[in-house]
Amino acid sequence: MSKYPTIGESLRHQGISRRDFLKFCTAVASILALPAAMIPKIAEALESTPRQSAIWLSFQECTGCTESLTRSHAPTLEGLIFDLISLDYHHTLQAAAGTAAESAREAAMQGNKGNYLVIVDGSIPLGNPGYSTIAGISNVDMLKEVVAGAKAVVAVGTCAAYGGIPHAAPNPTGAVSVDSLITDKPIINIPGCPPIPLVIAGVVAHFVTFGQLPNLDSLKRPHSFFGQTIHDRCYRRPFYDKGLFAETFDDEGAKQGWCLYKLGCKGPVTYNACATTKWNDGVSFPIESGHGCLGCSEPNFWDAGGFYKPLSVPINGVIKATTGYALAAGAAVGAASGALNRLKRSQARQNHETVTITDLERNQK
Amino acid sequence: MSAATFERGYNALKEQIDAPIASFFSSCVRCGICAEACLFFTETGDPKYTPIYKLEPLRKVWEQEYTLLGKFKALFGLAQKLTDAELAEWKELIYNGCTLCGRCSMVCPVGNDLVYMIRRAREGMVAAGHAPEGLINASKRAVTTGSPMGIKLPALQAQIKHVEKDTGLKIPVDEVGVEYMVLLSSMEIINFPEYLEAIAKIMQQAGKTWTIASAAFEATNSGIQIGAADIARELVSRVVTAAEKLQVKTVISPECGHAYTAIRWEGPNLIGRPFTFKVQHILEVLDEFRQQGKLKTSGFDSNRLTFHDPCQLVRRGGVVEQPRHLLKMIASNFVEMSDHGKMNWCCGGGGGHSAIEEAHELRTQVFQRKKTQLEELKVEKLVTACANCRIVMEEGFEAYEMPMPIVGLTEMLAKHLATSNESN
Repeated sequence: MSKYPTIGESLRHQGISRRDFLKFCTAVASILALPAAMIPKIAEALESTPRQSAIWLSFQECTGCTESLTRSHAPTLEGLIFDLISLDYHHTLQAAAGTAAESAREAAMQGNKGNYLVIVDGSIPLGNPGYSTIAGISNVDMLKEVVAGAKAVVAVGTCAAYGGIPHAAPNPTGAVSVDSLITDKPIINIPGCPPIPLVIAGVVAHFVTFGQLPNLDSLKRPHSFFGQTIHDRCYRRPFYDKGLFAETFDDEGAKQGWCLYKLGCKGPVTYNACATTKWNDGVSFPIESGHGCLGCSEPNFWDAGGFYKPLSVPINGVIKATTGYALAAGAAVGAASGALNRLKRSQARQNHETVTITDLERNQK
Repeated sequence: MSAATFERGYNALKEQIDAPIASFFSSCVRCGICAEACLFFTETGDPKYTPIYKLEPLRKVWEQEYTLLGKFKALFGLAQKLTDAELAEWKELIYNGCTLCGRCSMVCPVGNDLVYMIRRAREGMVAAGHAPEGLINASKRAVTTGSPMGIKLPALQAQIKHVEKDTGLKIPVDEVGVEYMVLLSSMEIINFPEYLEAIAKIMQQAGKTWTIASAAFEATNSGIQIGAADIARELVSRVVTAAEKLQVKTVISPECGHAYTAIRWEGPNLIGRPFTFKVQHILEVLDEFRQQGKLKTSGFDSNRLTFHDPCQLVRRGGVVEQPRHLLKMIASNFVEMSDHGKMNWCCGGGGGHSAIEEAHELRTQVFQRKKTQLEELKVEKLVTACANCRIVMEEGFEAYEMPMPIVGLTEMLAKHLATSNESN
C-alpha cells in the first residue's frame, strides 16, 4: 500500500544482519523500560511496518530542541532517521529549501494521510499571526493544517509543551502550547529546555513500534521518563537527607558536593530523567556540574520565582484547608508517638546499669 | 549490679534503638542482597547467616516497643515477645556468624548500615549474658591488665629493650609534647615485634618526635568487639587521658582494624566530646610522610604480591589509596585481588571473632573465600595492615596447607628504608 519499504526490508537493504536488528530491538525495549518479553513483539512489529513518515514543525523556538536531538546516542539520530522514520520535513535538517521544501511537506501529508506523525517544537503566537510565519503561512494555520491529517502529535520542548520562554510574563506574542490548540488528536509532551535527546528518540521509537503513544501522566508526559523527580534520583540526595547544604556556590559545602536546595535547586518539584539518563551520552547533568536544577521541564518554570531562590512552598497553588488540617493532625499524631517513643527510650537509658567486667556472666544457679 | 540478666539485655536493646536503627528497619525491603555480601552465607550456603536475619531480636524489640502496628500485634497475640531462649539461639549468629566487616552495609540498596545494627545488638547480648566466653575473658583481661591478651607493661619494656639493642635507636616512653603517640596491639608486642622496630626506623628517618605511653600502649578495644559501650569507654578513656597528659598532636592507631574504628570513630562518641588530638592509622601517617618527601626507600620487592585490605580500614576508614601509594614505592610486581579496596572480603576473624574458640571450625570454613581470591592471583606473598587479619590468615593457610608468607606493610617499608648515603 505504502510507497515506503518496511523497516525490515530497508534494514536488510543496508546490509544490517538479523542479529544486529534484534540488538536494536533490545535497546529500544530497554530505554523504554519495557519487559524483555516485549523484544520479539518489537521485532515483529518493526519487521512488517513501513518507516514512519514524520513532519517536524518549528515555530517560536531557538532550535535547541533539534540541537538536543542531534546528540541522541541510543538510538542515534542517524539510526532514527534512516531506520525508523522518514523525516519528510524539517527546516534545519532537510536539504531542500523554499518551494521544494514546502512541496515535500504537502507530498508527505497527502501520501500518508491519517498516518503521519507531527513533531512540533516551539510555541505558537496568537497575538498577531505575523509574529512568526513560514513560507508566508502563520504558525497557527500551518499547525492546524498539518495536524488535521496526522495520527498523533509530539510536542517537543517546553515551548511546544507549555508555551515555554515565549509564554513567560508578559507574553508579548500571546504564545500558547500545542495542546491548547489541538484537542482532537493524541498528543504527547516531551518538555525540557531542551528535552533529553534519549527521551525524544525513545518516544518516537515507541510510537513506530506500537503505533501508539506510551503511557502518559496528567501533563501528557511519558511515565517511563517523567515518573520521578530529579530529587528522587539525585546523587546528592543523601546530603539533603542529612541536612547538609551548600549555602553559596563557593563555600566548603559546595566544594564537598552538598545539596544545592538552598541555592534554589528545583529538583524536588521537577519531573524529568536528567539524574538517571544524564546528558551527552551519560556524562553529567546540571546538578553534577554544580548548579541547581532550573525546573525546565515544568510548566511556567521561567516565572516560578528566582532560579536561586530556595523552594520553601510548592510553587504552584496553595495547600487547601482540609489538606492543611489533615497534615496538622498527622503531624500531631506523629509528634505524640515520637514523644512516647523518646520517653520509652530515655526510660530505658535511665534503667541502664553500667556494664562492668563483673556483669558479663549470669549468676550460677 | 553484678550479674547479667535477660531483663538487662532487653532494656539494653530498647536503649540502643535510635533514629537510624528505626529508619533502617522500616526501610528494609527484605531483598536479601546482604546475604550474598556476607562470607558466612556464601561459604556455608546457610540462609540463617543472612545479615538482616541476624538482627531479628533487635527488629522484634523495635517493632513491638516502638511501632504502632507492632504494639497492636503484641496486644492481639499476633506476635511473640522476645525470649531469653531466642537470644541464646542468636548468640551463634551475632558473634560466631559475623566479623563486623561491614560488607553487607555496602551493598544494601536502601542504604541500611547493617553492621552498625549488629554492633548495637551485641550491647543487648552482653547485658543479657549471652556473649561468648572468649570475648568475656578478653574483656576482663583488657580492663584488669590493660590488654586483652594479658600483656603487661614489663613485657613491653622487655620488648623495647630488644628493639633498642637490635636497632641502636632509642624507643621514647612517656615523653611530653611530642608529635605522635604510638599505640600497639598486643599481637604486635607478642607476635610481631618487627612493627615496633619499623616505627622506630621510620620515625628516625622522617625526623619526627614520638612516644609510647606506659599508661596506655594497648590499642585493641575488646569493649567494641564484645559490644559493651561501658567497657569500650573505659578503654578509650585510658588512651585519651594518656594522650592529653603527654600533650601529643596525633595518636597513631597500629596495624589493627578494630583498634582504628574504636579510637577514631567510636572514641569521641563514647567519651561524649571531641578529642584534643588527631587520630590516624599508621598507613595514613606513612602516606603523609611520603607526600612530604620524608619517606625514602631503596630497592624493590620483586615477588608477585597482593594487598589484603583490612575491612575496618577501607570500609569504615576510607584508607584505600594510601597502601597502594606506599606499595608502589617498594614492590615491582603488585597485583590487585578481585573485590579489592572497599569491597574486599574479610579474613574471617575480625570483630573479636578470632577470640571465640568455639567458632574456630566456622572460621576455617569461611576462610575459603580468601583462599579462592588468592588462588586466582597465584601470588607468592601477601601484604596487609592488620595484625589480626595476619594471624587469622596465617591460621587459614596452615589449615589449607598453603605456604605463603604474610607481612605487615609498615615493617615491609622499614625493610626498604634508604640508608642516609643512598637517599642523597
